[in-house]
Amino acid sequence: MNSEARLPPAVESYLHAVLVQRAHPLLLSFDAGWHLRDAQGDAAFYGIDIAETASSLRDIEDLFIGLPLDDNHDIPFVELGNGRSAHVHLIVEGDGFHVLLLDAEDERSRQRVQQQLGHEAAMAGHEKSKAIGRLKEIRSELERQRASLEEANALKNALIATLSHEFRTPLTSIFGYLHLIERWFDQTEHSTQALHAIRRNATYLFTLAENLLEYGRGETGAALLNPVEVDLGALLFDIETMVRPLAEDKRLEFRANLVVADASAPMFDEVRLRQVAINLLSNAVRYTTQGYVAFDISWRDGLLRLDIEDSGIGISPEFRERVFKPFNDGAQSGRKGAGLGLSIVRRLIAQMHGKLTLESEPARGSRFRVELPPLARDSTSIAGARAATPPRMQDTHVLVVDDDPDIAHLLEALLTDLGCSVDVADNAQAAIEQAMERAPDVLLIDVEMPNLSGNAAVFKLRSRGYRGRIVTLSATSTGDARDASLRAGADFYLTKPLNIEQFVGVMQRAAQGA
Amino acid sequence: MTAQAYKVCMLGDFGVGKTSLVARFVRSTFSQKYLTTIGVKVDSKEVALPGREPLKLVVWDIAGRSALDALGAHYLRGASALLLVADGTREASLSSALNLLMQSRSVLPNAAVSLLVNKIDLVERWEVAPTTLAELRRSLPVFETSALSGDGVEAAFADIATRLMT
Repeated sequence: MNSEARLPPAVESYLHAVLVQRAHPLLLSFDAGWHLRDAQGDAAFYGIDIAETASSLRDIEDLFIGLPLDDNHDIPFVELGNGRSAHVHLIVEGDGFHVLLLDAEDERSRQRVQQQLGHEAAMAGHEKSKAIGRLKEIRSELERQRASLEEANALKNALIATLSHEFRTPLTSIFGYLHLIERWFDQTEHSTQALHAIRRNATYLFTLAENLLEYGRGETGAALLNPVEVDLGALLFDIETMVRPLAEDKRLEFRANLVVADASAPMFDEVRLRQVAINLLSNAVRYTTQGYVAFDISWRDGLLRLDIEDSGIGISPEFRERVFKPFNDGAQSGRKGAGLGLSIVRRLIAQMHGKLTLESEPARGSRFRVELPPLARDSTSIAGARAATPPRMQDTHVLVVDDDPDIAHLLEALLTDLGCSVDVADNAQAAIEQAMERAPDVLLIDVEMPNLSGNAAVFKLRSRGYRGRIVTLSATSTGDARDASLRAGADFYLTKPLNIEQFVGVMQRAAQGA
Repeated sequence: MTAQAYKVCMLGDFGVGKTSLVARFVRSTFSQKYLTTIGVKVDSKEVALPGREPLKLVVWDIAGRSALDALGAHYLRGASALLLVADGTREASLSSALNLLMQSRSVLPNAAVSLLVNKIDLVERWEVAPTTLAELRRSLPVFETSALSGDGVEAAFADIATRLMT
């Protein structure tokens, strides 16, 4: 068959009708200045209003910006103002040109279905491979923690996140301002007593909150350990100050003793250590009606030992395991209490790779012994050496970024007290602008801020070449949260409430590395 | 008086947020639903720069691709500027954007170019490192953007408009 042979007129006519019906051609004829000379076809089909030429046809003209108008052009699959897709052709004729629109909606719809499926599958595949990688990382940990996973559920996680922030932020203010008041003002006997009472009760509140959070967190989201050099004398004094009044209220003898035989600095998570001691001592006082409660700390042979002994009601053998279960409700005696203390103590000791032993005789008393190996230094969060008067940090310019004015003011005061020059920003965007204009030696930025997060600001600054040290501050104390912050470009990650000595140590290290 | 019009092409891998960035810039809207683009969608917006005549950006939102094919090159013709878009949570999309830049140079040797790394609202899930962007910033303007929140979007388009005026 000759491919150039003319088709019979009837066929040709039929073919023309079919193609015109399918293609919905619209022909717009223009002069060289884009003035419409003629229009043939259904303009409304393409959402074009011939009568309203100014804006309707401007969109057509815009398609050919930058293209020579003395040559034919075709632009396939153009989505028009009314959402339809068309193939748009420019055909030159004489001193003007025609623009021909042919309907491409059916073809586009078909392609879109296929492409959409392909793209969604590819994106899901990407997310899936990331998820698999992450799952592999945590599988070994999950297996170890399987027994506790039943406790973890989404509602609890949300509650923990909220509680964590709600407790830690105001406690940061309380502890921080206490620190400043004690440093700034001369104290009378009465005010000292009052400040100690505030500190004692804030510590109690903190311990209580941490116990609840620790329980709620479960073993799946273990909090970060913050190894610091612990002043065991100060630790014993603080705990004794808190527990002795409770013991004396019940007319119990309270004995406290410290033996330090090692010259090396004891590195422990001080908050966890206090939590363990206070929980055990609170129990000892609660379950002892007469006699004594004794607290001994010894640091020797690279091992920290806490002995908590009482002459209380004791624990009978059948209750020995049950008392370590959460909400045991005073399993051995029906005494009041949240029933969380010992389960938390056991968990915390396990986190610190320590050992807990119990000796007890009903009606004679109990002795809990805690043995803890020291923790390794953590390059991103540990404090430096404890100092009565923090070393000065003159010539260090710090930019503080926090949307909570109380916290921002507190951080400014603490850093000014250390000798730093301090600027403050109350949002991340302003911080980026300030830091790029005048780069601080150290940027101290809150992670949880509205709009642009602290982590996003850190990322943006690093990607703009900011090389100063960055310390992020967060109410979230999980390893994932810290890793996210460090990945964004932070050098150090601190959690609320602030441990003042740890804060000073980190800021000094940041300033030295700036 | 009609504002001077410039053709600006959005180019990048599929799913990086080109359509969403245009919607944010032109209409201040955002949709979570992903709908793939077939062919091209052309939008325009007048931009007023301080102390200068307004200009019109005619923005070509071109279907996502990881390499420039004949059709893609066809769409680029006549463009004055190129906005490369990558997704910070997919490092491969950054390689695609840079690959597209190299390929588009044969069609558009003199076009102004910026890189928009989108989805800064998901920074915790980013695979692209800040040091990578710091390095890229030496050779072309880089903007971290979020079509969801609008962060960086206005700035990226204002920058390209400024460069087109000079």
